[in-house]
Formats: sequence, structure tokens, C-alpha cells
Amino acid sequence: MKFNNVFVVDDDKIFHFIIKKLLANNNIDITPSYFENGFDAIEKIKSKLHNGENTPDLILLDINMPILDGWQFLEEFKLIKNQLDKEIIIYIISSSDNHADVNKAKDFKDEVKNYYLKPMTQEDIKAIFCN
Amino acid sequence: MNINSFSDSLLSDEKIVFYKKLLSQVPDLIFQLSLSVKGDIYIPFMNKPVIKYFELAKEDLLNLDTLTILKKKIHPEDLNAVIESLLTVVIGQNFWTHEFRAVLPHKGLRWFRGVANIEKIEDGNTIFYGRVTDITDRKQKDLELEISEERFQFAMEASTNGIWDLNLKTNKVFYSSQSMKMLEFEEQDVIDNHDKWDNRIHPDDKENYLKEIQLHLENKTPFYENSKRMLTKDDKYKWILSRGKVIERDKLGNPIRLIGTHTDISSHKDKEEELVKTLEIISEQNSRLLNFAHIVSHNLSSHSGNFKMLLNFIENEDNPEALGEIFAHLKTSSNGLSDTIEHLKELVDINARMIHKKESLNLNSYLNKVFAILEEEIRVNEVIIKNIIPNDYNVNFNPSYLESILLNFTTNAIKYAHPDRKPKICYTLSKEKSYTILEIKDNGLGINLEKYGEKLFGMYKTFHNNTNARGIGLFITKNQVEAMGGKVEVESKVNLGTTFKIYFNNEI
Repeated sequence: MKFNNVFVVDDDKIFHFIIKKLLANNNIDITPSYFENGFDAIEKIKSKLHNGENTPDLILLDINMPILDGWQFLEEFKLIKNQLDKEIIIYIISSSDNHADVNKAKDFKDEVKNYYLKPMTQEDIKAIFCN
Repeated sequence: MNINSFSDSLLSDEKIVFYKKLLSQVPDLIFQLSLSVKGDIYIPFMNKPVIKYFELAKEDLLNLDTLTILKKKIHPEDLNAVIESLLTVVIGQNFWTHEFRAVLPHKGLRWFRGVANIEKIEDGNTIFYGRVTDITDRKQKDLELEISEERFQFAMEASTNGIWDLNLKTNKVFYSSQSMKMLEFEEQDVIDNHDKWDNRIHPDDKENYLKEIQLHLENKTPFYENSKRMLTKDDKYKWILSRGKVIERDKLGNPIRLIGTHTDISSHKDKEEELVKTLEIISEQNSRLLNFAHIVSHNLSSHSGNFKMLLNFIENEDNPEALGEIFAHLKTSSNGLSDTIEHLKELVDINARMIHKKESLNLNSYLNKVFAILEEEIRVNEVIIKNIIPNDYNVNFNPSYLESILLNFTTNAIKYAHPDRKPKICYTLSKEKSYTILEIKDNGLGINLEKYGEKLFGMYKTFHNNTNARGIGLFITKNQVEAMGGKVEVESKVNLGTTFKIYFNNEI
């Protein structure tokens, strides 16, 4: 399997369900950890680092979220990136096709691998998890 | 040519020749004129330069009488005056002077000034000994000066500009009547101490004024130009544009005299301010519109995306249990969509200015209404309310907005109270320019403005892990205040508390 430890960060619980369903339908045997905002996700990564636990190798990240949004998560992530012993692949998955957001993703080209527009399709899931 | 009367019987012939030669050498126009008791004019002598200068023909001198010659040379409009001036010499007068024009064949129109000593002789005749000078150049200059002076006077009176003239040696300054009028003083020229007028400059503009003038005095700028507020006689400020230039420096280059103009640019400044304000409103509206379009597109597309995926799943699902779960999500998504549309509708209502009705509302009675609605929360959470707003204070606002705004800020202050202390909310009032500011200060959790400041008033933004938070309240509140021509500002420190400032616009 390409990824073992996956974080899904999105405040929409239906999106969590959709990801779960898409993974199952495509026979991808992964149980991601789900977070409803960037703050909870970054805190989890920090505590894993602190406890020497396995950090995620893939993060599916929404932009519009309460407390810490996607951009703020990425800012925080930049700060702790050096402490990681492996690369974490991050995909932004948002329903915003606003140019400002798409362009801003380019500011994080070292962190963000690609920008997917919702809704996620079977093809998107296969591209992320199987190729 | 007869010079006999000029001779003295005591002079020898040689002397006569000598004087004759001498006189003909003098370049001045010299003449002798005789006036008989009857009023006949006769010129017994004129030297050669006179003949030459006045372009007198020999034939005329021989054939014509004096009066005819004068008529031929002197400007018709001036002839009578010349004769008059000669005829009206009174007893005891021993000096004659008169200015006149002559029209000469080659030189054209020239101005002359005749000067003569007068002598009465025994036979009753009056003799004038004198000289004529061409004063055309001077006359021309006088005339030009007069025209330019007239133009200047007219320009000064016609234009609304004032003139000032500063003598740096004496520190005295001249202000034209227009400058005085600009500052609401009596409309007349004055000369005054310079410092006295400098003291009328608005304190905020003084530094820049002194800098600008110093730069020019030191010859670092080609001219001096500065806009500043000046205090008028009525103790109001007017925007005055002052321009000037040093027109005189001493040998060391130190400025001695500075001249310039004053222009009242208050109306320009007012228009400029109005324009800036309009631009601000337009760009604010524009960005709100854009923001709104993004909100609509983002919120609606996230719901429609969910619908599409969930319906997809339903098509491929046989398991009744799984189907039930998908339907439950579908229902949640549908409710979410309804809520979103409701919020957007609310927002459109606020921004459609047509429906705004403003009334004069008593701030305290609305606050008390809010306290009554929140009575239970206030009691349970032991909230200390400190309201020091004057009882009779009214604001112009939409009634339902006012209630919603006060309710929202008060609810927030209770909701985000600090767990370590009893919540305390302070309501105070202050004034700033055309705004009345209502301050609502709490001692709650506070917000990290560096992190969240930009998003604080955004739609669906929440900042605390609080299950009640929907993130719609502040967004709606901000829109309501702005629709009433006001604004909302926030100050906050994490763990200390938050102060919201609501600016009520008294003008609109």
C-alpha cells in the first residue's frame, strides 16, 4: 500500500463519510484519521512527534475551516516540517475555485502537491492512492 | 533767423558771434518765445537742434507765421492747451512748463516737455527763455506702467487670490485685501508682524509649512508651495494654498524679500475628501459584493458536491443499512443548504438599502430589552453588567438591527466568558468626529487578533472550540452596522478580554 497513515482534515462530516465510502468502493484498505479543523490536526502531528509515534504520510486538507483554516495549518506545518523524518504529502481538497485560493496554493508549492476541487471523483481517489 | 533781441547792446560783435556759435553747438533744444500784450506769439530765436529735431522746413520758417508753424507741428488735441498755457501766465509767475505731443514727418508722434523762465519786459511783452526735451520714452514707460498697474489691480480684484509680501529683515508682511477676506477679516490691505499670522496655522500643518519655506529660503527649491489650514477670524479652519518666491537676496545669498499668493482651496479639499469617501464606499461595496459572490459560490458548491456524491453512492448501494446512513447524510446536507440559503437571504436583505428604515432610538431602552431577553443566561452565569450610557441618548438606526446587534455582542460576551472569573460586560459611549461610539467591553477569553483578525467578521468563522458557535453572527452584525453607515472595530487580548466598538454614523 502506498500510504499507511492518512489524515483527512475537513469540517464537513459528510465529506468524511464520502472519503470513507470512496475508499471502500475502490477496495483501498485504509482507515484515515479524521479532523474537523486545522488546529486539531496540527496538534495531533505535534503530539505524535513528541511521543515518537508514526506521523501521517498523506494529508487531505480543506481550506475553509474554523479555528485554524487550511492556510494557517500549512503555516504551522512549515514550522515543524524540519523535525519530520519523512516527507508528508499534502493535497488541498476544496470547493473553492476562487483564483485567490488557487494562487495561494502556489505559495505553498513545497508543501502542497496538488489542488483538487470538490466533489472528489473515483478517478481523483485512484490518482491519489493507487498511482 | 533773428537773434537781435537775444543780444545785449553792451556786447561786442565778437561776443555775439561767440554766443551764437556756442548756442548752435548745444545739443539741447533752446528757444526764446515772445508774447505780445495782444496775445500774438512770436519765436525770435531757436537753435539749430530745434529746427532739426522738429523737422522744420526752411521755406516754412521764411514764409509762415509762428502760429501756423506751431499748428503744423503740435498735435491738434494739444495745440489749444499749449497756447492757453502761454496766454494764462500770471503776474509774478516766473516759470513755465508744459507737456505736449508733436506730429513730425519722420519721427512721427513724440512727447515733449517745454521748460522756460519768464520775464516781463517794459513794452508789456512777455519773454520765455527755455528748452524743449523729448520725453517720449519716459511717457511710453509711464503709460506701460500705468497699463500694467491697471491690469495688476484688475487681476487682484477679479481673482480670488490674495497677495503677500514678506520682508525678512523686518519680519513684516503685507497681505492684500483678498488675503484678509479669505480669513474673514475686513477687506483691506494690511502690513503686520509675520509671527502673528504664523500662529494661525493649524498645529498639524505647521511642521510641514516650516520645512517647505525653509527649503526655499535655503534656495533648495525653485519656489515655495504649501497647503495648510489657517484659522479664520471666526475660529474656523480654511485650507489655503500658499505659493511664493524669493525675489531679493543679499550678497551672501540670504533672502531679503519673499512674494507670493494665497488661494482658498477649502472647496477643493472638501471635494477631494468627498471623493475619497465615495471611493472608499464604492470599493468597500465592491469587495463586499465580491466576497458575497465567493461565499455563495463556495457554500452552494460544497452542498451540491455532497449531493452529487451521496446520490452516486445511492445508485450503487443495495445494503439497506448503508442506504439509511447515506439518506441521513443527505438530509443533513439538505438542511445545511436551507440554512445557507436563509443566511444568504438575510445578507441580501441587509445589503439592499431600500428596506432600511432609520428611526431615532433610545439606546438604553434597547439595551434593557436585550438584558431582559438574556435574563436567564445573565443570572445563571452571574454576569456583572456595567451600563454607563446616559439615559436620554438616542441613535439613528434600524430598530430590528439595533436589537440584533446588541443581542449578538452581549451573547458573545457571555458565551466566550473566561472560565476562571465571573463575566463582566461594560457599556460606554464616546464621540469621535461624526460618529458616536458604543464600546462593549468584556473580560472573557479574548481573541488572537494577529491570527484571526482578518477573518473575525467573515462568514462561518469560529475561533473557539465552542459547540454553539455558528460563525454567522459577527458577519451579519458587521453587515447591519455598515448598511447603517457605521463600522465595527475590535480590540482584544487573549485571556484578558475583548472590546467591540460600534460606530454609529450621526450624519446619514
